[in-house]
Amino acid sequence: MTNLDASSSEVIFQPKPSLPPPPNTVGAIGWIRKNLFSSPLNAFLTILSLYVIWVVVSNTFEWAIVNAVWEANSRRECLDKVGLSGACWAGVSHWMKNFIYGRYPDEEVWRINLGFGTLILWMLPFWLPRVTSKIAIGASAILISPFLLGYLFAGGEKGLFLQVMVSVAITSFVFCWAHTVSSMVTGKSLWASIVQASGFAAKPEATQKYPVFAAFLVVFAVAFTWQSSWNITSQSTNLWGGLFVTLVISGIGIAVSLPAGIVLALGRRSKMPVIRVFCVSFIELFRSVPLITVLFMAVTMVPLFLPEAINPVKIVQAIIAVCIFSSAYMAETVRGGLQAIPKGQYEAAQALGLNYWKMMTLIVMPQALKLMIPNIVGSFIGLLKDTTLVSIVGLYDLLLMLKAVSQNPQWNGIHTEPLVFGASLYFVLCFIMSKYSQHLERTLGAGQVRK
Amino acid sequence: MKKLSLLGLGLGMMASLGFTAEMASAQSTLDIVKQRGHLRCQVGTPAPGFYQLDEKGDWYGSDVAICRAVAAAIFDDPSKVEFQSVTSAVRFTAMANGESDVLSRTTTWTLFRDTQLGLDFTAVNFYDGQGFMVDKDLGVSSALELKGATVCVLTGTTTELNLTDFSRSNDLAIEPVVFEDSNVRDDTFAKGGCDAITNDKSSLASTRAKFPDASKYVVLPETISKEPLGPVVRQNDSQWMDIVKWTVFALVQAEEMGIDSTNILDMAANPSTPEMARMLGTEGDLNKGLGLEKDWVVRIIKHVGNYGEVYEEYMGTKGEFAIGIPRDGSPNALWTNGGLMYSPPFR
Repeated sequence: MTNLDASSSEVIFQPKPSLPPPPNTVGAIGWIRKNLFSSPLNAFLTILSLYVIWVVVSNTFEWAIVNAVWEANSRRECLDKVGLSGACWAGVSHWMKNFIYGRYPDEEVWRINLGFGTLILWMLPFWLPRVTSKIAIGASAILISPFLLGYLFAGGEKGLFLQVMVSVAITSFVFCWAHTVSSMVTGKSLWASIVQASGFAAKPEATQKYPVFAAFLVVFAVAFTWQSSWNITSQSTNLWGGLFVTLVISGIGIAVSLPAGIVLALGRRSKMPVIRVFCVSFIELFRSVPLITVLFMAVTMVPLFLPEAINPVKIVQAIIAVCIFSSAYMAETVRGGLQAIPKGQYEAAQALGLNYWKMMTLIVMPQALKLMIPNIVGSFIGLLKDTTLVSIVGLYDLLLMLKAVSQNPQWNGIHTEPLVFGASLYFVLCFIMSKYSQHLERTLGAGQVRK
Repeated sequence: MKKLSLLGLGLGMMASLGFTAEMASAQSTLDIVKQRGHLRCQVGTPAPGFYQLDEKGDWYGSDVAICRAVAAAIFDDPSKVEFQSVTSAVRFTAMANGESDVLSRTTTWTLFRDTQLGLDFTAVNFYDGQGFMVDKDLGVSSALELKGATVCVLTGTTTELNLTDFSRSNDLAIEPVVFEDSNVRDDTFAKGGCDAITNDKSSLASTRAKFPDASKYVVLPETISKEPLGPVVRQNDSQWMDIVKWTVFALVQAEEMGIDSTNILDMAANPSTPEMARMLGTEGDLNKGLGLEKDWVVRIIKHVGNYGEVYEEYMGTKGEFAIGIPRDGSPNALWTNGGLMYSPPFR
């Protein structure tokens, strides 16, 4: 035992440096051998797949890019140049305006752009840092902006109610942005800034609301006089079409279905029998019929039961149908999320003395909604795509506009190109929604990640 | 006693409601249209020649022209029309529920449709018929030679039924290849997926114009069905039916008399025959029964043109957007030229 040191110093085991792995098992070659050519069958499948990919990609590339015609005045010109071997994108670009705005007159298209621009600006503070009261901003954008946007799109004479609502919308928009600027620059809410600027900061708290009301009234008065001088022509909804109509229908459907779905889901779990029965029958009725049936009922059957003097507007009927249908689906999605919340959460909330609404808004819903994001966004994406069904009841949405080109004598028979364009447009929209939902999941679920 | 009076009140309310409902339905379509300020005309999803959208998003075509003519007769303004484009699945419901005032969209006049749908057919503005188109290389010159051939056909229309009827009655054992979308059908045909294609001859003409080499294809001479197309109105409003019917007749009669959109104002000032004077409203009061102004025919021709002009503009060979169906020798020629276009006299 004592000689251990001596003996170890005599014979020192020196392992040889390990050889590098065989070159065909490392790097790209190694990966390919291991994953793609590990057996004769796999090798065969790999070659077959590569061949299929090559054929598809090269042919698509050739059709869509290499042989494509970008400038032409009719399909005949395209056919004379390349026949059927190349895409005729000229047809798509000539009809682009119709795909986006439908039959809306050219000189009035600015109204649609202005409307959607306003909505985006309205929602923008939502994504800005250091802005408080985001829920109020979002709610005002969803609840009040439709009056302004609807008036911009439809135009015409406006009654007193619409005038007031349009002015309220303008005022809210101004306040949203004033609040955003105030909270980003000074870190204080608009309320606090107004109170401070008006010198009411030192006065009792109960009187502090007056300067804010006064500011609101002043802006409202200015907005009211300003909007009463507007004179925009009436554009029948018959002229609305294309992506514009798709976005209007699915946008309203999305904005309505989430709150309506939450209410229906809560109603279905309610202990009050009338409410529960109503919610259950509403959900089950509209979930068990196809959307197309609901659309047909709303657009063609309902007018049969109305007196002749009432002329319902088709797009409104379609929107109502879409909202009803998607609310029923959303209700079940929300109920799924509610059921995932352990009973202990409810009991703990009740033990704290919270009433029903506080329990729901403070404890249950924030957890449940977070769990439901993938399903909710899934419904939204489905809704956006389902709106193509309105083309069957004769609303010129994106799909019907894309199809209309092929019947035009100038572009007779061109149908693949518009449909490819429409598919890419839908892909972009849906992909954005899907990516945004994943982003939301990451930010909202940050507390739940196990590290 | 109290119950009785309540009952009486309820009955009275119901009666008055019923009464107002009756008042509303007693209003004629012409009054409703005049009150509204524009005509609501139903067309289909775009079909070449009959009703199509241009790049600006305006409707044009021969069936569209009928609606513009009715609007011109009522308002002296062919733009006072709201076009409603619905799929053929809901076309009759959209008439029945009062959504549209007139349906002008390649609808074949059949006994069933005329009697059982609560609709009235007014007049024929286009005589169509089902035919076949084949590749010249097939070497077929008559539809009777299509024994055992595969034929591309659209489903859900009478076209398919006509094809099987034709095949059975001539013992041809034709094999139909059924499609939902006309573009897919045409692509399949162009790639040789079927020997022949069948549809109304008017749309065969525009199908042919789709193909890279249109001269390769030929429409066979046989017409295997009768498809008289014309505007349709709701039943039980004879005044409105008369207006639409006589608008179509006015177009035809004007052509027969040699009146067109270029000379109509001269003709109205100096009518060459007494019948023309009556028709153009310079003499007599033929307009009375229709509830229109005296110069209603002048308005139609001034804004829309006569039947021949409309035909050449959209269906024939002359107009910029025409789909190229020759008129001479077809049933759509005037009766004086051996066709079927014939208007009852204006007197």
